[in-house]
Amino acid sequence: MKRILIACGNGVATSTVVASKIKDKCEAEGIAVNVVQCKLLEVESKASDFDLLVTTGKYSNDDINIPVVGAIALLTGINEEETLENIVSHLK
Amino acid sequence: MEAILDIIYAGFQTILNAGSLVMLPIIITLIGLIFGVKFSKAFKSGVTIAIGFAGINLVVNLLKSNIGPAAQAMVQNFGINLDIIDVGWGAIASVTWASPIIAILVFEILFINIVMLTFKLTDTMDVDIWNYHHMAIVGIMVYFSTNSVFLAMGASAVMAVVTFKLSDWTQPLVEKYFGIPDVSLPTVSAVSSVIIAAPMNWLIDRIPVINKIDFSISSAKKYLGFFGEPMMLGIILGVGIGLLAKYDLAQSFNLGVNMAAVMVLIPKMTSLFMEGLMPISEAAKKFTQSRFKGRKLFIGLDAAVVVGNENVITTSLILTPLVIALAVILPGNRVLPFADLAVLTFRVALVVAICKGNLFRSIIIGLVTMAAVLLAGTITSPVLTALATSVGLQFDGGIASFAATALTESFLVFEAFTKNPMISIPVLLLVFGIVWFFMSKKKKVAQTEE
Repeated sequence: MKRILIACGNGVATSTVVASKIKDKCEAEGIAVNVVQCKLLEVESKASDFDLLVTTGKYSNDDINIPVVGAIALLTGINEEETLENIVSHLK
Repeated sequence: MEAILDIIYAGFQTILNAGSLVMLPIIITLIGLIFGVKFSKAFKSGVTIAIGFAGINLVVNLLKSNIGPAAQAMVQNFGINLDIIDVGWGAIASVTWASPIIAILVFEILFINIVMLTFKLTDTMDVDIWNYHHMAIVGIMVYFSTNSVFLAMGASAVMAVVTFKLSDWTQPLVEKYFGIPDVSLPTVSAVSSVIIAAPMNWLIDRIPVINKIDFSISSAKKYLGFFGEPMMLGIILGVGIGLLAKYDLAQSFNLGVNMAAVMVLIPKMTSLFMEGLMPISEAAKKFTQSRFKGRKLFIGLDAAVVVGNENVITTSLILTPLVIALAVILPGNRVLPFADLAVLTFRVALVVAICKGNLFRSIIIGLVTMAAVLLAGTITSPVLTALATSVGLQFDGGIASFAATALTESFLVFEAFTKNPMISIPVLLLVFGIVWFFMSKKKKVAQTEE
């Protein structure tokens, strides 16, 4: 079971959209995932327990040691498929 | 004919009287169906949102039973008169979606966006239905105060036009400062700050010496990072308030854990709203995008996409304790900052961008912006509290948040539509028109320079 941390500004709005799209995609691909949403401000203390960090906007932090994928495409709808493929590639 | 109308009216009244938990699924299903969402999916959305409402109600009750007595004791012990509790934007959003006129306002706002896009009056395509609640609540509060659907629609219309224009004008900041192209942020909680930040930054630019000040605190995150975690913020605030209420240590810590619970649980409940609205939002996106194919538009997104910026985080962490202190010393303020301290980032994101990351200015302007939020929250608390009570969100004392009419933009529109509307609405529109005129002139100059 791969664990994904999905972070956005308030851990409510955009992360819910992104989480639900990633869950659908992983289900279609047959990948078992555990998805947790949080606020960007919490990422630093939480990231080490996860395999992948997905953020809805720009985020960079040198202290994060797990792969990070920006998923703004899942909100705008532009390049959505490529981004989902990229996320899936980190889970295999 | 009259008999049929009577039946419809009676049916409508029955639904209204049945309360929010019955009305929410019906209204949301209806909105979903109009957008072409399948019935089963639309109904599921409606029920999901009603569950979110029930959840928020539970958490607000937890907040009420714990902080109410403590806040009262604090007033008696130290004269710290902060008896209006900041219940957070999530609770306010839930009140918004539970209003009987929300369906009208959602379509009105979308309609205005499409009309403005068609006549090239805006470049922002706002299909972020979720964040419509910020524009709708002003209409709903006007409706609650005046009982006029006409004035309510007027207020939400003005909110929509102003918000789309503020998004257009701040889009270069999103592109240049945050590095996200083709996106604008029609999130009122973010763009509203610009009304104070833009003129203040202009002013500071012209004050000698002060316009040169800047400093950076790279260790802010290391030492203030705990303010960014809702859990820790809840504990600190709870224990602090407990001690001021002269509770003993065990009681204070108990209050702390309960406050932490509220901080952590509110977003979880609120995300049910988002989950429920998603199919409807996606349908609206498809509907609007297909109408403007080929034209270059800014896609309106939730401001959540920019708040991860390092300077925004640093500014918010520093501002968190300062805003609490501000609430205590600010004359006229009665709002006790609580749940929305967790989303200060949204209120300061564009402030930081306007100041180009200058930390000194971001903090000064951020404080002024928040002072306005606290005072507007205090002034409009009675209406908000009564409105929340009417849809079943009970609270003993007053409530406020850093959203709804506490936001500068929303406050101005609400006041204009409820106090002397015959004079203040034209004044508001005139001022906005002048700003629009100068902004479009500035844009033309910028284009010819390029």
